[in-house]
Amino acid sequence: MSVATRVPAPLAKALGRISSSTLLRHLLFALFGLVIVILVLESTDQFRNAQFASMAYLGIAAGGLTVLTGLNGQLSLGHGAFMAIGAYTTALFFQDSEPPLPVVGVLIVATVVTLIVGAAVGVAAARLHGPYIAGATLALAVAVPGIALFFSDTLGGEQGLNVLVPDIPDWFANVVFFITANEVSTSKYIGYIGWLCLLATFVLLANLSRSRVGRVWRAVRDDEVAAEIAGINLGRARVLAFVVSAACAGLAGAVMAMAVRITAPSGFSLTLSLTLLTAVVLGGLGSLLGALIGAALLTFLPQVVTGVGHDAGLSDLQAAELAPLVYGLTMVLVILLAPAGIVGSIRGAWRRRKESA
Amino acid sequence: MLEIRELSTSYGPVKALDGVSFSAPRGKITAVLGANGAGKTTLLRTVSGLIRPVKGSALLDGHDLSRTPAERMPSLGLAHVPEGRGVITELTVEENLRLGGLGRADRSRPSDNERVYSLFPVLSDRRNATAHVLSGGERQMLVIGRALMATPKMLLLDEPSLGLAPRIVAQIFDLLKTLVESDGLTVLLVEQNARSALSIADYGVVLNLGKLIVHEEAAVLAADDKLRHAYLGF
Amino acid sequence: MQQFLTTALTGLTLGMVYAAFALALVLIWRSTRIVNFAQAPMAMITTYVALALIDAGFSYWIGFAAALLSGLVLGAVIERVVIRPVEGKAHINAVILTLGLFIVIHALAAVIFGSRYRSFPAPFGLQGFQAGDVTIALTGFGIFTIVSVLVVMLLLVALFRYTDLGLMMRASAFNQEVARLLGVKVSRMLTLGWALAALVGSLSGLLIAGGSLVHPSYMDSVVVYGFVAAVLGGLDSPAGAVVGGFLLGVSLSFVSGYVGSELVALASLVILMLVLLLRPGGLFSHAAERRV
Repeated sequence: MSVATRVPAPLAKALGRISSSTLLRHLLFALFGLVIVILVLESTDQFRNAQFASMAYLGIAAGGLTVLTGLNGQLSLGHGAFMAIGAYTTALFFQDSEPPLPVVGVLIVATVVTLIVGAAVGVAAARLHGPYIAGATLALAVAVPGIALFFSDTLGGEQGLNVLVPDIPDWFANVVFFITANEVSTSKYIGYIGWLCLLATFVLLANLSRSRVGRVWRAVRDDEVAAEIAGINLGRARVLAFVVSAACAGLAGAVMAMAVRITAPSGFSLTLSLTLLTAVVLGGLGSLLGALIGAALLTFLPQVVTGVGHDAGLSDLQAAELAPLVYGLTMVLVILLAPAGIVGSIRGAWRRRKESA
Repeated sequence: MLEIRELSTSYGPVKALDGVSFSAPRGKITAVLGANGAGKTTLLRTVSGLIRPVKGSALLDGHDLSRTPAERMPSLGLAHVPEGRGVITELTVEENLRLGGLGRADRSRPSDNERVYSLFPVLSDRRNATAHVLSGGERQMLVIGRALMATPKMLLLDEPSLGLAPRIVAQIFDLLKTLVESDGLTVLLVEQNARSALSIADYGVVLNLGKLIVHEEAAVLAADDKLRHAYLGF
Repeated sequence: MQQFLTTALTGLTLGMVYAAFALALVLIWRSTRIVNFAQAPMAMITTYVALALIDAGFSYWIGFAAALLSGLVLGAVIERVVIRPVEGKAHINAVILTLGLFIVIHALAAVIFGSRYRSFPAPFGLQGFQAGDVTIALTGFGIFTIVSVLVVMLLLVALFRYTDLGLMMRASAFNQEVARLLGVKVSRMLTLGWALAALVGSLSGLLIAGGSLVHPSYMDSVVVYGFVAAVLGGLDSPAGAVVGGFLLGVSLSFVSGYVGSELVALASLVILMLVLLLRPGGLFSHAAERRV
């Protein structure tokens, strides 16, 4: 009789409870993720920390967007606008070195403000399909930076607003020192904030996805008529999905404001919204893991690609444009050849292997 | 003239046509009958190139249609009036006819819409109207006229009587018979209304679940009570 | 009074350009049921082709012709190679595809032509006319804009109404299957549709660039305005696109003149939402409520 089968009863019960409880399972993943985050942030330099912070806020926004587009079928090309709202709200709070609210408070406020705007937009968008919702959100993406320019007195105009990241709280520095014996630079601090937010957001999104809400969203995406007949309120489901994804984008924008230390209209151009969409498509619509992979690609690939460009003799500016060229091409190829994205294709191949086995 | 050999078509795992073989002789009307889902429309769509068969062939005067794309059919002399009539409602009557003439098989003569207007005077009155305003019977006349503009030698008609009053159906079927006699047209006529179809047809083919059940002279089919009750609903 | 006149005239000219762009979008929508968001960078890159020729010493008109021609070719190639595989499939694929093209063409333009702001010539001059004490803000170039768009539109109308080719293209757009059965080579008609649309798009790109600055993003907002104009008139209606462009151009000009140029995009969004929520089929739709 092998040892493996003789698992002590209390442990077996605990394992059983974990595997059957979605929330516990997700929390466990998050805990595991936190450990990895600590390891990575502590072992890399400031520059890398800043890059990981970028990956974190892109991941949060991409996660929200993949839920909206992948699970609920609403295409949004305007999430950059929501990030702008979250970022500008945060910037307004961090104009003095002594901000009126602690960081957590500001993040919450930024998220809530964006959530409210998202609800308004979502109500309008819920009635639109196909190219109409794409076009409307595209218009949103182009319109919002203009608002920042119009109210240039409060919002800094073309130059934008500087963001004064508050000092790292002592208790945080102490905890980190206790666990890792390292000091905390500002970049690392923001890296932690970003990743803690990401882990929390992903646990929430994963739970929603697996819950009744997620099933309702998918039903609305797959067959509206059937969903309505089944008693689902289409509008409410759609608006909820929109609100959740907008809130994620708002939070992402807030973290971005702190990471980049400046919010200006030029940082929220159409390119940002399209970049988010690229992340989501590359990873696979509807997959949180895919959103993370997409965010990683968009954070780290440009450097690699630019390096290749330099070696090939291109100028600085030209080499910088090589990255969007690569991921634009990849997006086109993905849609033509593997519409399920990276994660979707791998999952599909995995499933086919299991079925044929 | 049209020879169908072992024609088989599938929609995924479902066999819509299963080894159908028969010939539709030149200058005659062959009715294709059977219940809903028997494969009648699939047969026409496979012959006219909209669907690729998985097996078998359809030969029009020796030319293999099963590997020919649908766009080439009019130049080979095949006209298909599809299920639902296929009137392009955004175009006028005149434009629908002109469109039919663009693909005509006989390029030596100019496209002749006056002949269609003389066959169907009601269309002549409405020639500049958008096809949208035509009644069901007028639409059926339009699409037959449009098919004739292509100077076809073979005509595939899918349920022309659908939704039409019996009087109009009789009118159209009479006209069909006349055209066959005057132009030497060969017609493959799919119909749910088996009684009317057999009244003008020379031959009849009965399909059931994709298979050919019987191929007989129309008069014989009409007289066979057992067969009629089993497959044709009357 | 002066400002009103100026604003109105600017709007008129601008409206013509938006009308052209909206027409390009409608042509493609009618034939393939896709909104070509990549139309903007496509127009942008053909303008750069013109600019390259002008830099090399050729006249404006050679550049102009080259831009239109390359638009024609570009539209055909993109439809045949990139878009064909997703025609008729799930809508979201086509949207993402055109956006991917948007990004690619943008980046290509930046790599090949650089991101610097370049000025672009405007034939017939940029001076307004004097009529008494009132300056009429209609420049020579403005008149050229209006005339060239009108000419192109009339040519298209003639093509569609009076030629066999136009009839085949319309049939392919309205009912692909029936058109095939009548012998129309539908796939060629679709390619031609994209090619013509891209040509019209290129024209609007040249007209916007005239007397202004060219850089890879200069057409980006035009795709939004063109889309709003097209929706305003009804995505299925070429005449609607023209009227929609016109109305939008004038409205946005007034917003820019009297409220602030930064809010023009927001104004277009508001107009879009009003149309979609009140009359989803566009101003020229008939009773039938289409689900957008």
